[in-house]
Amino acid sequence: MLKSLDIQDLKSKLYQAIDNRVRIITAGLNLRELRNVLRGDPPEEKPNPRYKVHTTSFLFHIRPRYYEKASTIFTHTFRLGFFSTFFFFVEAITGIILMIYYSPIPSAAYQSILNLESNVPYGKLLRDMHRLGAEAMVIFVFLHMMRTFLTGSYKKERSFTWFTGVLLLGVTLFLSFFGYLLPWDQLAYWAVTIGTGMAEAAPLFGREANLLLRGGPDIGANGLLRAYLLHVVLLPAVAVLLISIHYYKVSREHGISLPAKYEEGDLPAEEKKNAKQRIDFIPDLLTHEVFLTSFGIFVLIVSIIIFGYSAPLENVANPQVTPLDTKAPWYFWWLQGLLKLGDKTLMGVILPTIIGGLLIAIPYIDRNPYRSLYKRPLAVGIGILAILVLVVLSYMGTPLYGIETPAATRIVQDLAPEEGVGPLRKIPFDQLQPGTYEVTGSVPRDLCPNLDFGCPALTSVFAEYSRRITRAINDTTLPKIQRLPNGQAFLIIEDWQTDLRKVTFRILWDDPDTQQRKTFEKHIFIHRLRGDE
Amino acid sequence: MSRVQLEVLFGTLFVLLSGGLLLWYGLNEPKRMAEYELHQRAKAIEVGAELYDINCKGCHGPQGEGVAGLWPPLNDRHFFTNRLTEVGWSGTLEDYIISTVSGGRLVSTRPDRYPGQGRPVMPAWAESYGGPLRDDQIRNIAAFILNWKDTAPDRSTQMAEMAGPPTGTDINKELPQGDPTRGEGLANTKGCVVCHISAPTGPAWLATPDQPGIATRAEAILTDPNYTGNATSPAQYLHESIVLPNAYIVPGFQAGIMPANYGDTLTDQELADIIAYLLTLK
Repeated sequence: MLKSLDIQDLKSKLYQAIDNRVRIITAGLNLRELRNVLRGDPPEEKPNPRYKVHTTSFLFHIRPRYYEKASTIFTHTFRLGFFSTFFFFVEAITGIILMIYYSPIPSAAYQSILNLESNVPYGKLLRDMHRLGAEAMVIFVFLHMMRTFLTGSYKKERSFTWFTGVLLLGVTLFLSFFGYLLPWDQLAYWAVTIGTGMAEAAPLFGREANLLLRGGPDIGANGLLRAYLLHVVLLPAVAVLLISIHYYKVSREHGISLPAKYEEGDLPAEEKKNAKQRIDFIPDLLTHEVFLTSFGIFVLIVSIIIFGYSAPLENVANPQVTPLDTKAPWYFWWLQGLLKLGDKTLMGVILPTIIGGLLIAIPYIDRNPYRSLYKRPLAVGIGILAILVLVVLSYMGTPLYGIETPAATRIVQDLAPEEGVGPLRKIPFDQLQPGTYEVTGSVPRDLCPNLDFGCPALTSVFAEYSRRITRAINDTTLPKIQRLPNGQAFLIIEDWQTDLRKVTFRILWDDPDTQQRKTFEKHIFIHRLRGDE
Repeated sequence: MSRVQLEVLFGTLFVLLSGGLLLWYGLNEPKRMAEYELHQRAKAIEVGAELYDINCKGCHGPQGEGVAGLWPPLNDRHFFTNRLTEVGWSGTLEDYIISTVSGGRLVSTRPDRYPGQGRPVMPAWAESYGGPLRDDQIRNIAAFILNWKDTAPDRSTQMAEMAGPPTGTDINKELPQGDPTRGEGLANTKGCVVCHISAPTGPAWLATPDQPGIATRAEAILTDPNYTGNATSPAQYLHESIVLPNAYIVPGFQAGIMPANYGDTLTDQELADIIAYLLTLK
């Protein structure tokens, strides 16, 4: 059939066929171009085939063809916007996988997390990544906003982009807030109870807002389902829409801002022109983004696998027991701090709304046309002040500030917290030598001289217990609530069951108000295999 | 090398490193998951111990020893070896515990030995049956009870092992000298505190701001013209109230609530100790 078999001809036909196929797949680049792209060489064909990709491919058409050179300077953007998006994708991907294992029902939610961590290979890693990604996203979105503020990049034609950015900050916070409830542990339950409780304080429609969020007077099955749907459907959808608008503005309308000095500084014209040199998306920016992505994934994985970041999981939610130290996630401490300062309606609803409104209004309030730090002393001053206020409020939001707990409760809570681990539970099981140890003022060198290796961990916890009890007994300068007049304190360890010991803290003191002897007792059961020592 | 090439190089490196780390992590997963399950089991036992301490120890004893003649022991060899056959249960012991705790017991399965007290003999504990506990809490309690399995002593002869003959219901009987300290312990282990509670001050026989201790109350009752019993001294009144609880019912209480079998389960010495303890509570 074949008249002659021309190898040379066949080869070139094959090459052409592959070449064509590659050009179709890459939407405009042939084999040779592709090779040049990967090597970082300039394009050979004219017109530049790399630009064609931006019109033929959907994913490339939403990316710009080039950035201006100065806008890619690392210390100008710190790639914060990129990483905000990166973490959004990390959250989306890990989140979708987590949805396979999660059921948003109070009786099953916590169990499904335990199951994920104990029965699904890579299950714990996924949850850790999702949690770490969420915290990182809050940090990066916030830093991204700070950077935009400090470089004055919200001005003029970028004011609407800033507006969508502030909304995205809000969406990020709400996403993490509702995601916080889903593990259905004590930490989650009470933090979200406080959070939704703030909605109740809203004027006019507070009761309705609270009912709508919780699906009832308290968070239960309805509240969990609502938080879940907000977290996996509504808020991500809003986020995708807002990110699209936000990014469309950047890529199609005004680009990434240049550092202020290239716009308004007195640099030679040559340098200003140089700053506007085009850096093509293919290959330079694309390679850079792929590099940043692999770097980001690497850092995430290293922080979990090597540095041991672990998403917290406390005891299952118990609506009947309010933990002593209820704490919001750290990025809401400022709000908890605000709440301690005054009325729930004013501090919890009206003030945060005003803060949000002010953030949105910044481009319209700030009429100063300059972008350089040195030409905007007032704006920069206010920005720094705002950060300081945020830090102080966050400190005030922690239980360290403004919460008066009676001495005995406080001391025992610090040594053996209701939730979390604490020093007592970190003592190796074998050092928990059964016995009754009384606080006498002087701390023994070693509590268990009968053990070959002693019990240094137990001794040091007991020393801390003694120190704090003794101080509460003797230090008359302490406020009344932190004192234990005529105090007596014991630490009792009993063998309770196979591999189970019972630790009792017992503290007795004279109540200064009623002059009666009061007793505080707390029992803690510790199992050999609990895994926290 | 150009910047693009450097980035391709390091990007590849990061991807390879991440892949390697993931692989290594994956190889450890079976071990990690097994350990996690052990820790989870341990924590279930801890929580179960706490819940048992609050909810169950009143009847079944702080160490699951039960109260002879009233409530069965759980920390008992018999419970772990024969109980399922005895009741004809087809599931596991864990299922049996969870089922019993959840739904309680309407009537005793061993009325001759552990008649319980009142009806139902054991209340339902699961929320779904009107009790206070969630299902996961009941599972934790079961984990705690099952942890006695390896060490449970044989208590099948508990009834016979009373320290002496039962005291009976004769209130004119001469009792030996009682020890109040021992009596206080017995009041806790013989199940008295299960019913005689008035939280938060403690057992109901203590003095409260509203009324004096039981010894003073006993004196007052003897002088009450409505008193229908046969006692002539506070000690005898307490004796009568324990072994013949229906001889006189204090106004405001119902007859037939207190088990009438303490005469069969206490020895003379134990009864004397308890009375001695109660008499110290003025």
